[in-house]
Order: sequence, then C-alpha cells, then structure tokens
Amino acid sequence: METRPRYATLLLLIGLVLTSSPAPASSLSVTVNDVECVYEYVLYEGDTVSGNFVVVDHDIFWSSDHPGIDFTVTSPGGNVVQTLKGTSGEKFDFKAPRSGMYKFCFHNPYSTPETVSFQIHAGHIPNEHDLAKDEHLDPINVKIAELREALESVTLEQKYLKARESRHRHTNESTRKRVIYYTVAEYLLLACVSTLQVVYIRRLFSKSVGYNRV
Amino acid sequence: MAERRAGAAVLLAAFLLLSCCSVRLVPVAEAVWLTIPSSGTKCVSEEIQSNVVVLADYYIVDDEHAHLHTPTISSRVTSPYGNNLHHNENVTHGQFAFTTSEAGNYLACFWIGGKHQEDVGLTIGLDWKIGIAAKDWESVAKKEKLQGMELELMKLEGAVQAIHDNLKYLKNREEEMREVSEKTNARVAWSSLMSLGVCIVVSVLQLWHLRRYFERKKLI
Repeated sequence: METRPRYATLLLLIGLVLTSSPAPASSLSVTVNDVECVYEYVLYEGDTVSGNFVVVDHDIFWSSDHPGIDFTVTSPGGNVVQTLKGTSGEKFDFKAPRSGMYKFCFHNPYSTPETVSFQIHAGHIPNEHDLAKDEHLDPINVKIAELREALESVTLEQKYLKARESRHRHTNESTRKRVIYYTVAEYLLLACVSTLQVVYIRRLFSKSVGYNRV
Repeated sequence: MAERRAGAAVLLAAFLLLSCCSVRLVPVAEAVWLTIPSSGTKCVSEEIQSNVVVLADYYIVDDEHAHLHTPTISSRVTSPYGNNLHHNENVTHGQFAFTTSEAGNYLACFWIGGKHQEDVGLTIGLDWKIGIAAKDWESVAKKEKLQGMELELMKLEGAVQAIHDNLKYLKNREEEMREVSEKTNARVAWSSLMSLGVCIVVSVLQLWHLRRYFERKKLI
C-alpha cells in the first residue's frame, strides 16, 4: 500500500521532466569552407524541428554577390528530409519522422569561405495519446507546452531578423566604403586623363615632331 | 504481492529514465554536435550584446575510436576585443560561464589536444546558452518556493520579457541603419553632382590652357 504514493510521485516527476524538457534553440555561427555538418538530437518522433540560417556577408569588394550555399537535412535513417539550394538565408521546418540524431549540412560550392549563422529548435508538445497513457499529465500542461512552442517560434523569428539585419548592416557598410573609394578614384582618373590629353595635343604642335603636321 | 513487484519494477524504470535524463548518456536536445578535424581548429562564434550571461558546456561524444586512444580536446574563448575569456587544455569535458562586457563577436575555438594516433576527426557536443536560456530556474524555484505550474508560467514570462527586449534592440539597430543609409544616399547624390562639376572645370581649364598655348606659338 505504501508503494502507491511513491509510484504516484515518481510518475508526477516523470511527467514534469517530460513536459518541462526545455530544448531551447541553439544559435551559433560557423565558417563554411567546403562542407560543415552540425548534429542535433530529436527526442520524440513527430516533433516539429524548425530553424533558420543566414549567410552573413563576407567582404566582397569588386565582384558581385555570392550565389549562396546549399543546405541538407539527413534523418538518422540516412534519407534526406529537406534540401535547399543556392540560398543566402532561409527558414526551414519539418516534422521529424523518427527520433534520433539528425544531420544538418551546409555545402559551399565556391572557394570563398562563408560565415553561416544558424539556429535549430526541436519542440515537443505532448498530445492526447500521452495524456491517455499517463493520468498525471494535466491537459493544462499541453496548453503550456503549446504556449512555450509559440514563444520559441517568435524568438527564432526574432533571431532570424537579427541575423538578417546584421547581414544588411555589412552590406550597408561595404556600400558606404565603396562609394567613397569609387568617387575619389573617379576624380583622380578624370584629372589624369585631362592632363594626358593636354600633353598629347602639345606634343602634336611641338617643332621636333613635324613642322607642318597640323 | 504482485502489485508490490509491479510497483517496484515501475520505480526502477522511472529511476533509470530520470538518471538517463540527468546524466549525458542520452544526449539532451539542447546540445549541438560538431566535428573537429584531425588537424586544425573548429571555431564557432556568435554576435552577442553587452551584459548578457553566456553559459556553455562541451564534452567529447563517445564514438567507435574511443577505446583505441583517449582523446582530449582543448578550447579557447575570446572576446571581440581579443581578451582571452577561457582557456583549457587536454580535457574530455569542460564548461565556461561569463557575462559579456562588450558587444561584438565572441569566438569559441576547439582543437584536438595532445597526441592522436589516427587521422580521424572527433565529435564534440556543445551546449551553448545565452541570456534567458542560461537562467538557473532551479535556484529561482527554491528561493521563491515555486513548483510545477507556477515555475512553468514564470519561465514563459521570462521568455516574453526576452522577446520584448529583443524587439527594442532590433528597433534601435534599424534606426541606426536607417541613418547610415540616408547618409550614404546624400553622399552619392552629392558626389555625382561634384563629379559633373569637376568634369566641367577640367574641360574649361583644358580649353583655356590650349588656347593660351596656341596664341603663344602664334598658331591662332
């Protein structure tokens, strides 16, 4: 008879652990030279894995913008869950077909190294099946889990906006520097060309070249 | 009797499950795994504002090669101004925590320390938390004597507060960037007018100089 309350409290603890497993979004930047792979563990089958990545602009000065990188998600079974090609920043989400270690790979098809800032979040909401299995799981825990997932998605979106803003800022700074350099170079070139013109015309009229040339 | 045996079995299963969740036998969903190449370093970075708590934990993930040699990793964390915040050599796991004093790019680099016989890379798990995710909810719960539902709602309130702060930060950044864009726009307009002016001035000078030259040479 005394095992009953112990059983109850332990199940309650399990319920609390399961519903309160936070799994926040991990947000990092890596430099992609060729292929960089990141692994993230998904605890439950059917979890929604959401995330985003942004290529933070590198210092391009004379050439046009980098065409982008490729992104692939591979499930623990080896099959490709999602692919994005030639993009400079995108959001992704999918429903995990099974639990396990998922591989997120960035592939840079060109030789210039790129810095990619990415975030991955695996969120779990206990559903009615879990509710039926464990009578100590309150329906309000489901609502709290839904709220938490909604807030996490807002936070993810905010961090995506922050990374995009950082990329925009790099582009702005690069534009500002380029405007100054191009302007100064243009003036110098103009002065050089006009001096050369004057020198050439003077040479045409000089006595040593030819008397009646002109 | 059978009830007690079943209860004991459930207790054992529950205990095993709880212990697995607390010890890193089963990796918890917060951590990200990275591969370190056999030679060279692997660096991860993040742009962090000032006055933010950073908490990180790194460990070697057991792989098939672990029984052949005992791998160790070394790590170094640098602030955007170049200060060394954390340096650790030849460990299998470690953690670091600091509060950022300046805003910028914080870099954490890992490399394989010590001798390694094989030419294979190593997989490490990195648990990197900043800001609200690094808050120690257990101590808050103990201090305020919260449990269960109240603690969950406090966590949600913390998340909402963090969202609000992030929104204010984004608004400020957008304002700064708008100023820079406006300045660049004004600068481009001014410089194109200026180049037109320089063009006209240079051509007038040319004509004046050549006319003087020809008059001097008595060709006109």
